[in-house]
Amino acid sequence: MPSSARVLRFRARRPSGVPLSPEEATSAARRYLEAASERSPESTSDALSNADVLSSTLRLLREQWATSPQSVSDEAVHIYRWLQNSERIGLFDERDYFLGEAAFIAGTASKFLGNRVDALRWLDRAEAGFRHTVNAAPGLSSVSYARLCVRFDMGRFDDVVDLMPSLVESFKKLEMPVEAAKAKLVLAMALKNSGRVEDALTHLEAVGDEPCMEKNPTIRAQVLSERGDALRMTDRIDEAMSCYREALPLLASGQASAGRADLRMFVAGAYRAKGALDTALTAFKSAASDYKELGMATRAAYVGVLISETLLALDRPREAEWEILQALPTIEEQKMVPEGFAAVALLRESVKRRKTDPNALRELREHLQKQN
Amino acid sequence: MDSSDDRVVQAEADDPFELEIRGVFQGTLGLIHLALVTHYDLEELEAIELEKDLYVWFVRFCARPGNFSPSQSRPFLMVACCQFAREYQKYLIGTGVREPNEKLQKLLDREPNDVARDFNRNLDFLNLRNPDA
Repeated sequence: MPSSARVLRFRARRPSGVPLSPEEATSAARRYLEAASERSPESTSDALSNADVLSSTLRLLREQWATSPQSVSDEAVHIYRWLQNSERIGLFDERDYFLGEAAFIAGTASKFLGNRVDALRWLDRAEAGFRHTVNAAPGLSSVSYARLCVRFDMGRFDDVVDLMPSLVESFKKLEMPVEAAKAKLVLAMALKNSGRVEDALTHLEAVGDEPCMEKNPTIRAQVLSERGDALRMTDRIDEAMSCYREALPLLASGQASAGRADLRMFVAGAYRAKGALDTALTAFKSAASDYKELGMATRAAYVGVLISETLLALDRPREAEWEILQALPTIEEQKMVPEGFAAVALLRESVKRRKTDPNALRELREHLQKQN
Repeated sequence: MDSSDDRVVQAEADDPFELEIRGVFQGTLGLIHLALVTHYDLEELEAIELEKDLYVWFVRFCARPGNFSPSQSRPFLMVACCQFAREYQKYLIGTGVREPNEKLQKLLDREPNDVARDFNRNLDFLNLRNPDA
């Protein structure tokens, strides 16, 4: 029995529009999202005040947050603001649920975009919404998962290793196998980035065997990509390549996604480890292109540093300088390095003198690598 | 639920998930009606209107990401039922439309989730006696 009902703030009956079939609601939601540029306040209100359409709209946004994070973030923020100004929406706890869900989507999309401060703020709002719903546990657990992902992005791997196992148990109790698998995947990534590569490989193998993987090719591809990267870190390059080959068709939708961009970056790293610098450079550029298309500025900046290093190794210093100059503003704006990080100042100075300092570049890459 | 709500019936006719939701709702409807009319003193028509809303809410509730299956979500349906009935009666009493009797006042003083817990015990008992219901 949920004890959270004590904090519920149910209102009197609210109109929620004519009930629609799932197909009708999905069609209306698609029309609403496709009309983004020509939407008036009235048409927004017409669409979103029907709770079935609003539910479907939020579901469609969830499906797109990894492939179109910027537009998903914009839409989710728009919906959240609209809900804030609309007292009469949905039945019972639905307004709070919709507020929580819109904020959760905005937070997750911000996380993909690398806007960590925004992401955490939206996740706080999501928590505030979900807390007032009848069944708060799934929403609150998802918020905790997203927060740990942000901590992972910030390089706080010890926190992830410490807290994620408990969240995995929560997801298991809540019968959310896909979320449990995703949580285990992030745990394995944190172990890998903490230097516990063999532990990470053990976890990745276990996640890959989860029954839910069959119906979730994108997550399976991410598991394979991470496994490949862990194998590369232990110099098992051929095994790594085999994992990447297995992952690639699972992501072959032709559309840029965070998973595809990560895979391309890992493949590039493996080629670089094999000394195939030209091939590595091409793969790094493909990854950077995906990250830029997705609006994932911090990841694009990190790959920019990798490209720059590879260009220096190929004795192409002018192009390396250009890549550094592209990446540095994001690195500083998004606080990807601590204030006054010496390598950044040295690098900027050396680029100004048109003599890129490879040691400063390596130091910056190593610092960023710990977070990526 | 009022069976005249053909639109809702039609919308879910082909979808196994929604058929399951409908089955769970109908299996709980007797207890919901009892809670609303006998315990929370709602009038018949008020109860029927609320039951329609509860059904629409329950369909969307079961579709929320991460929620349990419809049959496992039954306890939440009872919480929603008691919560709304309490708010509704408090509103009527607060605006002077209705006078509370002692029994109703005692129920309104209790937390809806506690009341729902009692109802769910009855539901568990009924399920034990008739597991196919």
